[in-house]
Amino acid sequence: CSTADVIGTKDVMYQGYVIDEDMLKLVKEGSSREQVILSLGEPSTTATFDNEVFYYISQVKERRFTFQKPRLVGQEVLAIYFNDSGRVDRIARYTMQDGNIVDMVSETTPTGGKDITFLQQILQGTGRNAARDFFQSAGGGGGSAIP
Amino acid sequence: CSRDKDVDITTLKYESDPPQQLYDEALANINAGKTSEALRKFKAVQDQSPLSDYARKALVMQTYIQYSSRKYEAAVTSGQRYLDLYPNSEDAAYVQFLVGQSYSKQIVNVTQDQSFAESTIAAMQTLIDKYPDSEYVPQARAQIRYARDQIAGKDMQIGRYYLERKDYLAAISRFDSVVDDYSDTNQIEEALYRLVEAYYAMGIVSEAQNAAWVLGRNYPDSKWYDRAYSLLNKKGLEPQSAGRGSDVSSVTNR
Amino acid sequence: AVVNNIVVKGTGTTGTDAVKSKLTIVPGKSFSDADINQSIRNLYSSGYFSNVAISVSGSTLVVDVTENQMINQLVFNGNRKVSDKKLQGAVQLRSLGPYNEAQAQLDAQRIKDAYAQIGRSDVEVNIETANVGDNRVNVAYVIDEGGRTKIRKINFVGNDTFANARLAGVILTKKSTPLSFLTRKDIYNPDQLRADESMLRDFYNNHGFPDFRLISTDVDYDEDSNSYTLTFTMSEGERYKFGNVGVSTSVEGVDVEGLQREIDTRQGKVYDADKIQQSSESIAAAVSSQGYPFAQVNPRGDRNFTDNTVSVNYEIDQGVKAYIERIEITGNTRTRDFVIRREFDLAEGDAYNREMIARAKRRLEGLGYFSSVNISTQPGSAPDRVVIVVDVEDEPTGSFSIGAGYDAEGDALVLELGVEERNFLGRGQYIKASAGAGNDDSQIYNFSFTEPFFLGYRLAAGFDLYRAYSSSQDYYDYTETAGDIRLTAPLTNELSTTLMYSYQNFEYGGKGAWYEDKNLSPIFQDLIEGGPWTVSSIEQSFNYSSVDSRRLPREGVLAAVTNKVAGLGGDSNYYAITGKARVYQMLSDQADIIGSLTVRGGYVTPFDDNLNVFDQFTIGGQQIRGFEQSGIGPRTEQGNSLGATTYATISAEANFPVPLIPEDISLRGAAYVDAGTAFGNKVDVSSAGPIEGTDSALRASAGIGLIWNSPFGDLRFDYAIPFAKEDYDEVQRFRFGIANTF
Repeated sequence: CSTADVIGTKDVMYQGYVIDEDMLKLVKEGSSREQVILSLGEPSTTATFDNEVFYYISQVKERRFTFQKPRLVGQEVLAIYFNDSGRVDRIARYTMQDGNIVDMVSETTPTGGKDITFLQQILQGTGRNAARDFFQSAGGGGGSAIP
Repeated sequence: CSRDKDVDITTLKYESDPPQQLYDEALANINAGKTSEALRKFKAVQDQSPLSDYARKALVMQTYIQYSSRKYEAAVTSGQRYLDLYPNSEDAAYVQFLVGQSYSKQIVNVTQDQSFAESTIAAMQTLIDKYPDSEYVPQARAQIRYARDQIAGKDMQIGRYYLERKDYLAAISRFDSVVDDYSDTNQIEEALYRLVEAYYAMGIVSEAQNAAWVLGRNYPDSKWYDRAYSLLNKKGLEPQSAGRGSDVSSVTNR
Repeated sequence: AVVNNIVVKGTGTTGTDAVKSKLTIVPGKSFSDADINQSIRNLYSSGYFSNVAISVSGSTLVVDVTENQMINQLVFNGNRKVSDKKLQGAVQLRSLGPYNEAQAQLDAQRIKDAYAQIGRSDVEVNIETANVGDNRVNVAYVIDEGGRTKIRKINFVGNDTFANARLAGVILTKKSTPLSFLTRKDIYNPDQLRADESMLRDFYNNHGFPDFRLISTDVDYDEDSNSYTLTFTMSEGERYKFGNVGVSTSVEGVDVEGLQREIDTRQGKVYDADKIQQSSESIAAAVSSQGYPFAQVNPRGDRNFTDNTVSVNYEIDQGVKAYIERIEITGNTRTRDFVIRREFDLAEGDAYNREMIARAKRRLEGLGYFSSVNISTQPGSAPDRVVIVVDVEDEPTGSFSIGAGYDAEGDALVLELGVEERNFLGRGQYIKASAGAGNDDSQIYNFSFTEPFFLGYRLAAGFDLYRAYSSSQDYYDYTETAGDIRLTAPLTNELSTTLMYSYQNFEYGGKGAWYEDKNLSPIFQDLIEGGPWTVSSIEQSFNYSSVDSRRLPREGVLAAVTNKVAGLGGDSNYYAITGKARVYQMLSDQADIIGSLTVRGGYVTPFDDNLNVFDQFTIGGQQIRGFEQSGIGPRTEQGNSLGATTYATISAEANFPVPLIPEDISLRGAAYVDAGTAFGNKVDVSSAGPIEGTDSALRASAGIGLIWNSPFGDLRFDYAIPFAKEDYDEVQRFRFGIANTF
């Protein structure tokens, strides 16, 4: 493998909506909702309680080595606001700079449902097919301490 | 290899007891706590006089015993057979309830497949639709709520998974689906709060404020609202309605 | 027509109202012929009646039935291998139900099918009935189970390039061997045969034969020997190599040069369909990285019939512009949702990319937690939205295992019993606990745990605990307790690096007259008195593996380089570097001869001026066959090996199926030449007599070996004769051990 493989080329990931600049030019104030969908496609998401706002969200992430978590390096949100008569009223673009640091609250709302316990899994997993597995996965090589 | 001993069939006599006697013996066994013996006798009643009313009653009891001794799959099969054979008998609602309960007891935690939760909802909904004035309807509604909490819980768990990885779009659409379709579950408060977190992290502050405002208006003393409030407050922001979507209930019956 | 009452004739045990409840005709209501037919059908389908006739006389409906006999008791006799409960599940008739002859015959066949599934096709079932009066009868299915149906022979016809032994290794159905009752792989079953056929096809497509065709697979069952013979007849077609390989795109803006590096299918190499698919996946990922997530990669191959090459052109086209609305994971009754979801590089809301999803499927199958992984796409809530449905089926991932291993000193062989769980609590974690014992009452205990996604990173973090006792030496025994914590990071899908801290604590106990200098060198006496010793070290290693199979590699390279620093406390202070590499190459496909070349080396140097005995390398039979375990390198006059500061060994080996021995005992032969040296000593020897073997004399040996692929792992019997050695080296020509491939 070439050295580049070893160091690991930068893995860039384009996630979410893929913005197409010239299609975006077709959308201007006064365009109807259908025109927007025709040129930009369905929005990534709409405002939570009604669809007075279309959000097109796209992100760019990078990671140098396969074991790393992809790091958010670029983010663009295209927000299209509609007035009461369903016409484009205003277009806004939010970028990485607008983002805020949020450390997620770790507490979660409790949920039910039974969970498999260690004992259950060992009995269920190994018990049921112990015979079949007993010889099939013949392991070799013990804890030899010799190089 | 199994050691079932062989049987000489010429010696086996035919014995069949009247269904009622068998049925009463079975009931006695239950009270004596010998459930497998009772189960055997209830099955004998059905085999020996399949078309008698005792056979029907025996099938109800069989479903009940299997359910209470945690053989849920068997209970569902027996219950389903009863509902096919005797759809509008007077115990049909009870058996439908037992079937729903058998599914509900097999619901697993939210990080795994929730098909049992879905089956619970389907079974209990059938009970409510087919036997509207049955005494089990309130319990059926409670089980549906519990199952819906689970399904919403699964969406939340996946939403948090994406939020942690900063896949805000994926996270928001999962939380949105809880707000849109599961706003009557116990997850709604956290769903609204996570929307505040996600939109605030992306910098779309107006949406964050709106979600916080809705959370505050519907659940003013929820700890999730306190968290939303303090999160926005860091930058001196206030929960504020964007003039749309006044309260959650309007959302649910949209 | 209308009747005003119904008369039922011929009923005995079943009540008249039972018959009436089956009719669709009610007194006083008009009915048609169709109702009569329907009623007749209902009565027959109940199974209680052998004959039904319905007629109308005047205003009365006459239903004349003759009842089937009723079964009083249904039993199974003569069954040993399959339980009554299981057989009852397979048959239709049951106690207290109606009896009819035709159904009984069908049941007999169902019983035979049940036995065929566990490999017994020579089963006789006959039906006995005994009257009990009152039209009731007892029924018995008397089963003669016959012997286990074996697979006597698996033939391959038309395989000019690959040896039978090799193809037998590719398919899952195996020939019957004396031990096959343990693994049960010698059961003939049709769907397994379908799977074998596709495995053969994949094998040939991945080893240079795009035109491979399986002409026929015939299975003939020989009555008297109660065994099957399978014959795969095939036409291999020509063997192809890759011609020129290129990338082209119809999507402007895609930089094609940068993509060459993603291609695994290099010119001149043997044609390999799987490598083409993997290359497409990495090209797609690279193109997506350039900002074209929708792109699709379609490999086009065109053949050059004259020089038997296939040139491959990876065409990048604009895929359908669709977004993933949701990834629905179903069927995971044990594995957690996030363990599956994290194998996807795409998230919900991202562009739909066919190759990236194929890569996720490949990763999920690689985990080994699922018996099946099916990914399908369904339409989403909008025309440009797609829902990915990942339906998995959990399989039990826990297993007992018996294996052979070495004791602490690497001298005595121990038999290890282990419990392993590869998907602990469905979280993808790995747990193994094993205990072993061997001769010279040596014992060995191991516990290891690994979390594959440590803190959300694709980092495998884990720890191991190890305890061993062995007294294979004459004058001292050895007790060791050790623990380590480790972190492994994948760099590419073949190369990974591991960082590990380990803490070892061990003791030497004197045996017999160990205190006499003539028996045991004073150096070792100090070891016994100076114990317990501790070594606290940190090591970093690169591990590379591109072999085609872990069990019996035929192509590819295994390599590892380790840097170790001991001295974070403890009694050892040194730096050591060790390296090993093994290259596999097929010497002959026809005869299935595998060639391999192994190179090892190591050097240790102390930070202050001396090393302990346990710091230096123990070199011997494991590296150069024909010598004792610590047979070469510096040693005291009493013959105690001090280990060496430097060693280098090389070994060339050819491994082949043993010609004469019938194939069914999976035995392979080996011939090899080993050579190497071990020298240098930094142990303080002032208190001991003269030391021999510190110079770098070359040792070499040649030998043959037998490798038995047993249920306990690959066991190896070697006989090697050293032809270049020092007189103080300790020779051991015969050696029994485990054939660790590395």
